[in-house]
Amino acid sequence: MKTPHDILFARHQAAAPRLDAVRREIVAGLNHQDAKSQSWVALLASWCLGGANKLWLELVWPCRRIWTGLAAVWLLLFIINLSQRDGSQTMMAKSAPTAEMMMTFRDQQKLLNELLADRALPADAERPRIFSPKPRTEIMRLKTV
Amino acid sequence: MPEVADIEQLPVPQARAGKPAAWDVLFRRYQLPLYVYVFELVRDEQAGLDLVQDTFISAVKHIGGLRDDNKFGSWLFGIAHQKIVQRWRKRQEILFDEIPETLDEFESSPDDLLIRRESETEFMDLLNQLPLPQRSVLLLHFVEDFSLEEIARITETQLGTVKSRMHYAKKSLRKLLEQMK
Repeated sequence: MKTPHDILFARHQAAAPRLDAVRREIVAGLNHQDAKSQSWVALLASWCLGGANKLWLELVWPCRRIWTGLAAVWLLLFIINLSQRDGSQTMMAKSAPTAEMMMTFRDQQKLLNELLADRALPADAERPRIFSPKPRTEIMRLKTV
Repeated sequence: MPEVADIEQLPVPQARAGKPAAWDVLFRRYQLPLYVYVFELVRDEQAGLDLVQDTFISAVKHIGGLRDDNKFGSWLFGIAHQKIVQRWRKRQEILFDEIPETLDEFESSPDDLLIRRESETEFMDLLNQLPLPQRSVLLLHFVEDFSLEEIARITETQLGTVKSRMHYAKKSLRKLLEQMK
């Protein structure tokens, strides 16, 4: 006993080689399309490389001395900048005060403060006189006497 | 009987990405079932091969329209069915027959009809005597064991109509087979 499925497939099994041919033809077409799309990628890459090469040959190579000179100037500027940065850093390191210097500075500051404090308090001779006004007649009597 | 298309792990995402090897696997899987379905409806070897080829080409072209990768099988048969309908229309063949929607019973398994080896030719003759819409539904059931919902989607008809066609097709077939005994 057979199922309808078995009967149907058995009857058409002979068509399998022709169906294989149909399948292969379509898949070959797809492979061709795939290869074509891949060749587009390759084409784009080669175009980019070609462009870079052209740029090098037409823009850089004919004026190579100028480009080299410019590069050397930039390099020199960079080195100078770097060396200056190092010099300022060492200067700053060198100008940092030592402990001894700080002590001397403090002593001098103290002395100056003391001197200034003395000037702030003047001597007795220089104290202001107290003014006491007297009547004019009394002053005249004293002159006559 | 092949496994149901929904359970199979088919390289549909790879095919969607345009991998020729994935398409080769898919075509290899469906070429014979598709041919059986198409041939039994058009009854012409060359036309059957041409329709299978057209179906494959359309599948490659319109794979973007496939919403669910698991439904690749029914989607492919749907394309083939559309091509057959177009052919019928060109030849002005009768596409639909009026079948009442009432059902007595429905057998769900395609194996429920077992045919004796000596009755194979008669079975095929009987199948070919069925009206085209009934034959179409029955073939989809036999060839790929599609569910009624899938058959409705493939043939673009109402589920009730598919049930009705299936019922009457099986009933007619059974009746004819009994007459032969």
